[in-house]
Amino acid sequence: MGHDHGNVIPSYMKVFYTLCTLTVLTVVAAKSLHFPASWGTPGDILHVSIGVIIAVIKVIAVMYIFMHLKFDHPFLRFLVYVPAFLFVVLTFALNFLESWDYIH
Amino acid sequence: MSSALNLSHEPVTKIPHGKLVMWAFLASELMFFSGFFGAFIVLRNANYDTFGQGSALLSWPLALVNTFILIGSSLTMAMCIYHLERKNNRFFQLFLGLTILGGFGFLIVKFIEYSSKFEHGLFPGQEHHTLFFSFYFMMTGFHAIHVIAGMIPMSFMWFKSFTKKGYPYPVKVETLGLYWHFVDLMWIFIFPALYLMIPYHGAIGGH
Repeated sequence: MGHDHGNVIPSYMKVFYTLCTLTVLTVVAAKSLHFPASWGTPGDILHVSIGVIIAVIKVIAVMYIFMHLKFDHPFLRFLVYVPAFLFVVLTFALNFLESWDYIH
Repeated sequence: MSSALNLSHEPVTKIPHGKLVMWAFLASELMFFSGFFGAFIVLRNANYDTFGQGSALLSWPLALVNTFILIGSSLTMAMCIYHLERKNNRFFQLFLGLTILGGFGFLIVKFIEYSSKFEHGLFPGQEHHTLFFSFYFMMTGFHAIHVIAGMIPMSFMWFKSFTKKGYPYPVKVETLGLYWHFVDLMWIFIFPALYLMIPYHGAIGGH
């Protein structure tokens, strides 16, 4: 049997509303944040970073509550943290380093 | 004393084997998608114009609808596990049915999107935007395959739940739920990467 985590429905609903709000925020940020053209590539890096940060917050909410990482065995958290951390580092690092190459 | 071997052992980690293997599989899946994202970022930064023009040709409102569908189906998946653990078979059927319906909805929207792209000649191998649309079809295509792969066992469980015995395996549903949430997680990254992070603020008009 799965573990009984009590009445988790309020937590599920909170996560659901948070995900919807953050999705709208992602669209608003992408469509309305216009950095000055003179900023060039750094403006784009900032633009992408905002999108990635919002996505990471959404992912944490889903993993902790919907996927029960909050309640599960700590070993599972370790198993997930390593590739998840590498994924985020890769996204940021490639974005920054590659962009840096094109600035210089 | 019985000489028979006792095979009814508990997992050493106290985590059901299926669940542990699913998490390990998801970790490897994350690395699989990391390859796509890594290549996407590198080539996007080297081809701002191509990716900007290609991205502006996508329909972000359709992708937004799909995002809400997937978020909703993640919620219904979590709800169906909750109810199965409490043996509320009717609610389990309802929420699992809604999750499958969400999967279908996602694929229908994707089909509309793909049809429009093919109608306008926006696919790899054409004269313009080949690079961007190679990524678009590869990333969203693999994601859609994952959606279909999740819907097959889900449908089996759903149909099985209508039999006399029902579907009395909450851990199996929870394990499948992990996979379904992962599909949602990948879309959380694919949506802004392909549809929203346009490298220049050109005219927005999707097909």
